[in-house]
Amino acid sequence: MAILIFGLPVNAICNKLNMRRVRLYITCSLTFFVLIQLFSCEETRKKGTASVIWKDKNAVAISFPEWWLTDKKGAVSVRVRAGYDNEVMMFGDLEKRADSITFTPLIPFTRGLSYEVFEGEKLLTSFSIPKTESKDAPRLLAVHPANDTVPENLLKIYLQFSQPMQEGKSAYLVTLIRNDGDTIKGAFLDLQPELWNENRTQLTLWLDPGRIKRDLQPNKKLGAPLQKNQGYKIVVSDKWKDTQGSLLARSYSKSFVTTSRDSLSPVPGNWKMNVPNANSVSHLQVYFSEPLDHGLLDEAFTIVNENGDLIDGRWQFNSEATAAAFIPNKTWKSGTYQLEVDTRLEDLASNNVNRPFDRDITKNSDVKLKQNFVKLAFQVH
Amino acid sequence: MYFLLAVICAGIALLATTNRFAESKYGFVIGTPEIKSISALTFGPEGILFIGDSKSGVVFAMDTKDAAATQATAIEIKNIDQKMAALLGTTPENITIQDVAVNPVSKTVYCAVQSSDGTPVLFKIAGEKIEAVNTKNVPFSSLTLNNVPAEDAKDRRGTSVRVSAISDIGFADGKVLVSGLSGQEFNSTFRSIPFPFSDKQDQATLEIYHAAHGKYETLAPIKTFTTAEIGGKKYLVASYTCTPLVLFPMDELKPGKHVKGRTVAEMGSGNQPIDIVTVKKGNDSFLMMANSARPVFKVKYKSIEAYQGSLTTPVEESFATAGVDFVSLPVTNVIQMDKLDDSRMILLQRRSNGNLDLWTSSERYL
Repeated sequence: MAILIFGLPVNAICNKLNMRRVRLYITCSLTFFVLIQLFSCEETRKKGTASVIWKDKNAVAISFPEWWLTDKKGAVSVRVRAGYDNEVMMFGDLEKRADSITFTPLIPFTRGLSYEVFEGEKLLTSFSIPKTESKDAPRLLAVHPANDTVPENLLKIYLQFSQPMQEGKSAYLVTLIRNDGDTIKGAFLDLQPELWNENRTQLTLWLDPGRIKRDLQPNKKLGAPLQKNQGYKIVVSDKWKDTQGSLLARSYSKSFVTTSRDSLSPVPGNWKMNVPNANSVSHLQVYFSEPLDHGLLDEAFTIVNENGDLIDGRWQFNSEATAAAFIPNKTWKSGTYQLEVDTRLEDLASNNVNRPFDRDITKNSDVKLKQNFVKLAFQVH
Repeated sequence: MYFLLAVICAGIALLATTNRFAESKYGFVIGTPEIKSISALTFGPEGILFIGDSKSGVVFAMDTKDAAATQATAIEIKNIDQKMAALLGTTPENITIQDVAVNPVSKTVYCAVQSSDGTPVLFKIAGEKIEAVNTKNVPFSSLTLNNVPAEDAKDRRGTSVRVSAISDIGFADGKVLVSGLSGQEFNSTFRSIPFPFSDKQDQATLEIYHAAHGKYETLAPIKTFTTAEIGGKKYLVASYTCTPLVLFPMDELKPGKHVKGRTVAEMGSGNQPIDIVTVKKGNDSFLMMANSARPVFKVKYKSIEAYQGSLTTPVEESFATAGVDFVSLPVTNVIQMDKLDDSRMILLQRRSNGNLDLWTSSERYL
């Protein structure tokens, strides 16, 4: 097969012209190809996408080579390609680092959205932020109280998630359903801001306190959210997204039944204790006389010795929050110890150690002395 | 020529001194406040913005340098959530407007926004223009609220235990007032913090009771509040998560003291108070209250004042609500509200067509 350069067979060229001219032709052709190649390379790079910079699974910035900018006069802007108004430049910091331009938006780029980078009104490139993978879907780890039976004036429900969740969504995504299938409307207080822990993995929900408190208008007009001796189900929708935009792996539900109203404060003096032996690392076991609220359990107990020194160790609680075990770091020495119970500790109806949730002042005028701790002494032999 | 130079130098020196004076006056340092969330905003003197950060349990004071007195002009921005979302490179469902506050000096509207990943952003609205407020290298000071669990406190599953929220923040008589909700206990905390912040943390932590119907005494967290003068005396006017409107004499709010508030009205059921402001028309002043499931309520302070005599007796009930009379304005679904000037308010309202608009009320609502 004949090889052609500029339409002439190479053999013919070699035969007809001297070697110097042949070299000239070949050099010219190579130069032409290299230039074409370079030119096409430049075109390919221009059509490429900017590099997305990730931090903790968030797309926090993009960068692209400075040579993409042509006239260097038009302002560089990044715009979201959304259904409504994509003429608006995003807020963020534009920085020149070495030979590249970095744009850091005020908030990370959103998963599943596409963006465009402009120089003046000329489109430089576009890029998309991929959606999260289904293996990263968040899960609901626990609902507190975990108990099957709760008082009809239960106040708080805690939802524990596997990863940080989007805030402000609980009013639409958590429902309370009576066993006959009716949804209890307005059961939870629509509280803004919602009560999330710092890393947004635990949400506290309140059953509407105005409906639980005796004699207030909401209580009189709508009644308490829960009635005694009924079955209920809390349903958490799978439409809830985490902070990355991943949907909850599935919907979750937790069933329970109600008993009568609890209007009494927890009395630590009535609790039972299994006291460990001296020179052992056995657990101190405490059995409450009723299930306690999940919220403060981890902070409510401390043990001190006769000198007032804090005993190091850790606390464990059963899932129903009816019993606690203290596991000491060191062996017990014989002597007298005090278990200090924080009086802010509440039961499931938010009666705390110092006072009940609501107090009928016409019937019971006794007000307990307000104290920060109740002390329970125990002897280790 | 030399005289002119000397005057310029003196002027610059004076200006520099003034700046340093302003910063030292409030104990500010130049830096970048580590704001983890913005739950509530309010303004203090000279364009100082107070930011309530629930996630950190901290109140920040920041000099916005926005202290030039300006006449208030009506603001109207339609679809403000779409506009803010576009500026942040996202869609409206990924942002939440947490609070709005009007700078009482410059009349500029400040707006706290949170993205779905939790990043807080501060905007200001000048005319129709939405700008990002710079929070880097600014004069600021901060105060960690007392009784907030330590940041490293973890439960047995290694989860941070701090679950508290700043429900509202205000500034009156040189003090920053902060109402708080706790996710761990059903309680009411109300702090009165002297400003400039001091190292001593000389702040009052108050437990507040309210007596509903004179029969049951309960604790409850405050959702929103304002301060007002009623019958020549200063009061904290607070609205609770269970919607009663309660008055507390300001002079009784002292450190460690338990104050029993008086319920003056119940605003109906299935409802959450959102914001309370006080506005005036002629000689009358009004308490305006935005609600989650009700229209904006208007209460004459004169009615509250007249009601005071019977506060110790149980509230007489009416069909819908109890206590002082109030008027429902034909304005529903107000998500945020603040006072623009003596007689006007700015409202962030979800319209019946689904749009979220920021607009200014006129005197005819009073």
